[in-house]
Amino acid sequence: MAEFLLEIGCEEIPASWLPGLADQIRDRFTEAAERAHLEPKSARGFQSPRRLLVVADVVSRGEDREEQVWGPTLAVAKDASGKWTKAAEGFARKNGVSPDELQTAVKGNGPDQNLLFVKKVEGRQAAQVLPDVIAATLRALAFPKRMSWDAWLDDGKGAFAFGRPVRWIVALLDGEVIPFTIFEMRNGAKADAIVRSSDVTRGHRFLPRGHGGEAITVTSFGDLVKRLNEHYVMLDPQARAARIGSALKPAADGGEIHDDHGLPAEWRDLVEYPSLLFGDIPAQFRSLPVAVLQTVLVHHQKYVPLMAGGGVARFAAVVNGDGGNGEEIVRGMERVVTARLRDASFFYEEDRKRALGDRVESLAGVTFHRELGTYKQKADRMVALVSAMGERLGLLRKPEMDAAMEAARLAKADLTTLMVREFTELQGVMGGIYLRAEGNVNPHIAAAVQWHYHPVSIEEGSAPDTKDVGDPTIFGAVSLADKLDTLAGYFGIGLNPTGSSDPFGLRRAGQGVIRVLLDFWKTDDIERRPSLRKLIRSAVMAYGKFPKRGETEILNDLESFLQDRLRYVLITRGYPADEVDAVLGAREPDALDDPHEAWVRLKALHRVRSEAHEDFEHLAVAFKRAKNILEKDAPAASPDPALFQEAAERDLHGSVQKLQSVDGGYEARLRSLAGLRTPVDKFFDDVLVMAEDQKIRSNRLGLLSQALSLFYRIADISKLGG
Amino acid sequence: MSGKPDVTLQGIIFALERYWSDRGCLIHQPWDAEVGAGTMHPETFLRVLGPTPWKVAYVQPSRRPTDGRYGENPNRLYKHHQYQVILKPSPADVQDLYLGSLQVLGIDPAAHDVRFEEDNWESPTLGAWGIGWQVLLDGQEITQFTYFQQAGGIDLAPISAEITYGLERITMYLQNVDNVFDLEWARGVKYGTVRHEEELQLSRYSFEEAWPTYFQQIFDMALVEGPRLIASGRQFLAAYDWCLKASHAFNMLDARGSISVSQRAGMILQIRKLACSIAEAYVQAQTPPAPGVEAARG
Repeated sequence: MAEFLLEIGCEEIPASWLPGLADQIRDRFTEAAERAHLEPKSARGFQSPRRLLVVADVVSRGEDREEQVWGPTLAVAKDASGKWTKAAEGFARKNGVSPDELQTAVKGNGPDQNLLFVKKVEGRQAAQVLPDVIAATLRALAFPKRMSWDAWLDDGKGAFAFGRPVRWIVALLDGEVIPFTIFEMRNGAKADAIVRSSDVTRGHRFLPRGHGGEAITVTSFGDLVKRLNEHYVMLDPQARAARIGSALKPAADGGEIHDDHGLPAEWRDLVEYPSLLFGDIPAQFRSLPVAVLQTVLVHHQKYVPLMAGGGVARFAAVVNGDGGNGEEIVRGMERVVTARLRDASFFYEEDRKRALGDRVESLAGVTFHRELGTYKQKADRMVALVSAMGERLGLLRKPEMDAAMEAARLAKADLTTLMVREFTELQGVMGGIYLRAEGNVNPHIAAAVQWHYHPVSIEEGSAPDTKDVGDPTIFGAVSLADKLDTLAGYFGIGLNPTGSSDPFGLRRAGQGVIRVLLDFWKTDDIERRPSLRKLIRSAVMAYGKFPKRGETEILNDLESFLQDRLRYVLITRGYPADEVDAVLGAREPDALDDPHEAWVRLKALHRVRSEAHEDFEHLAVAFKRAKNILEKDAPAASPDPALFQEAAERDLHGSVQKLQSVDGGYEARLRSLAGLRTPVDKFFDDVLVMAEDQKIRSNRLGLLSQALSLFYRIADISKLGG
Repeated sequence: MSGKPDVTLQGIIFALERYWSDRGCLIHQPWDAEVGAGTMHPETFLRVLGPTPWKVAYVQPSRRPTDGRYGENPNRLYKHHQYQVILKPSPADVQDLYLGSLQVLGIDPAAHDVRFEEDNWESPTLGAWGIGWQVLLDGQEITQFTYFQQAGGIDLAPISAEITYGLERITMYLQNVDNVFDLEWARGVKYGTVRHEEELQLSRYSFEEAWPTYFQQIFDMALVEGPRLIASGRQFLAAYDWCLKASHAFNMLDARGSISVSQRAGMILQIRKLACSIAEAYVQAQTPPAPGVEAARG
């Protein structure tokens, strides 16, 4: 085996792309090397802002091997007298042999005999094939966005767009340079070389002082890692993360970090050599709402807020270097933060001069979507939808409904504030803050306004925290009204998400709807649990007519879209896809009529199936068979015991009768249903369902259908096992 | 480097002019019409189109009426100054060239935190976009760095690198000043002395006094005159002046709060359409006629 090292030196690649790219370069290289018969082993990918790297073991020469080249069938290859035809001769000539030297064999599943040429392929030297492997690897990397940089590859495909311009390439096979060239593209054609592979990498842009960006000759991966380290590049992202972690530890131990907002993970890929610096927040800004301080620090500067005395007092920032000249750098950082906070505190004072409720009318000047009107119209529809939840669907008690309607009316008003216009990520949050600052506000209304854009992420237990959202049903009603109105509107004008394209974040909105129903809405009172089907209808009706699409079409699309979202959320929670499909396939109750109930059924199925795995596998096979049979012929409405011929029929009927009267929760019912395995198996072993006699046949089908329907209230068990 | 660099605003402009001139850039002058950014100068918008190499640098005063703050905000201005560099095609060492210019201004990157962070640029009115970074100096954005991909809706080849320095921002950093009006424009002359009254008057005008009907008329005229000039013989430069007028009228109407939501997208689209037709006319004028055509004429 030989070590192959490939480093692609780039101009700064966006941090958010990098972890995925390290995996990609490893996998795409492995695939390309396998296709080239280099038998790659233990490939590893690495990333930093200025480089993507893969190192792997490959064979130095591919093994000799045989390839099968298939020719025409014998019927075509020989004529009636048994002589070779033109087709056979042509095939032989193409492969450089005479027809008599060819073999004949059955191709695939047959039945025909075909001519076969066994081609001996000599294994090629790794050094010869690696240039093509490099080209294939680079071509196969997927970037969220590619750019043209006037580059050209000599691989027959020409123009070479990439994530960022490539500035150097190290390609070494056991220390020997593998030649690879990127050319300039001029007037649509290949011109001069702009990058040639070599054994020279580059260190940190600026360090060590006086030797920044120095060319470093390397001999192997181990040597490269060591030399880069000397030149202030930590190639291994885990090492960078560890260095960040230890620098943050004192602040974490001191209880200053309440939420690091995931920044340390992002920092890791923003720099090649992380050091941490700490700055102060001027005292006059510490009284700003914490959310505002966090937005300025986290979203705009990527600094971690550090808390003391109930407010944000300091911040931590990563720099790309050894932390030298820290005081001056921190002074610069503090100046930027101060300037932004000065703006923010001006906005905060100005915005509070006008009550949130007085801003609702101004929403008429803010577009929601060109074809769907203004935010004022959206707010009106949200209020109407909440009212429908209370009055028409009976999901809300009067006080809940009144509070939720008020929250829906106010929810979007902060879009007219200076703060939200400047810091859009504070939408909702500022509404809540300003409402509370006005005093005298129902805390459930303020919480619902603040959180109604959520839930955004789909994991159970992810934000928002149930204890933050106030009354979960009031919050839930406003959150649902917002998302369902958006979905109904976009589907109504035909902007449904397609394939990977979802520019309006509709899938996320759909998942938010599902999460409200699974994780937030109060579930104890079964009468007040929402039917998603009815909610969708109300949301679409709130728009009146859509010019381009009919109501039935919109509703059908929305139903299957939300059913998909429900399926996705449940699978993300760790349930096997076949169990989710089984539960969503149940007929009564339908999952869209009560998503929360579907989740309860799924949990039960998952638990009972794991206890009685084998019983369920058998039942799944049997019911798949039953379903197929039932598709062919009509069953009797209910089986008549007088028509049974075999003991197995009577046994199954007896078991079904008994199970029909079993009460209790889903788990108890599923456990007793698992007992059907023996009588069902026996039924299929002993009984010919498709009997000649039509009466007996339909009676047997009736019995099967009855057995199946025992499950249909919980799950379509025939969907288990894929 | 001999002595301390001159970090007055004009000193920085001198240093950048010299630096980029020494690297083969033609030193151009600001475009003499109201524009929102150096990108709108024809030396950028038109020169990046077509195959001809070009290197140019210039200062461009940039008006953003909605950013006006009556001269009261220490960081925001109705009009700020950009230093714009276009390198076409983009050389392989373009980042190093840029970093070299910081050194000339007295910024030693090894003693600071200089970073290229993803920030792509787009101008819907010009049908232009690019891939690139904002350059951060100790957390402060000082430059936008863009590889142009499209202008006037036309895919570009070769790709130009655009380097846009925010002159006030950089100067504030170098002078260690927190309020833009306290900057030294020249030795002993403050930025506020030169520009404060202008900020005050122009903010007041664009927010309170500008007559919307008048700017709507300019907009409408521009959208008649511009297309007419293109239709009647590809006078793309004259048409482009009208395109810039339309863009500025739009910004004024926006600052005045008199663009209704239903109008907004439509107006942007109208300007974009004009910009795209100008770009097309420019490219056609650059393309030499095919040999066959030439022969037929001869």
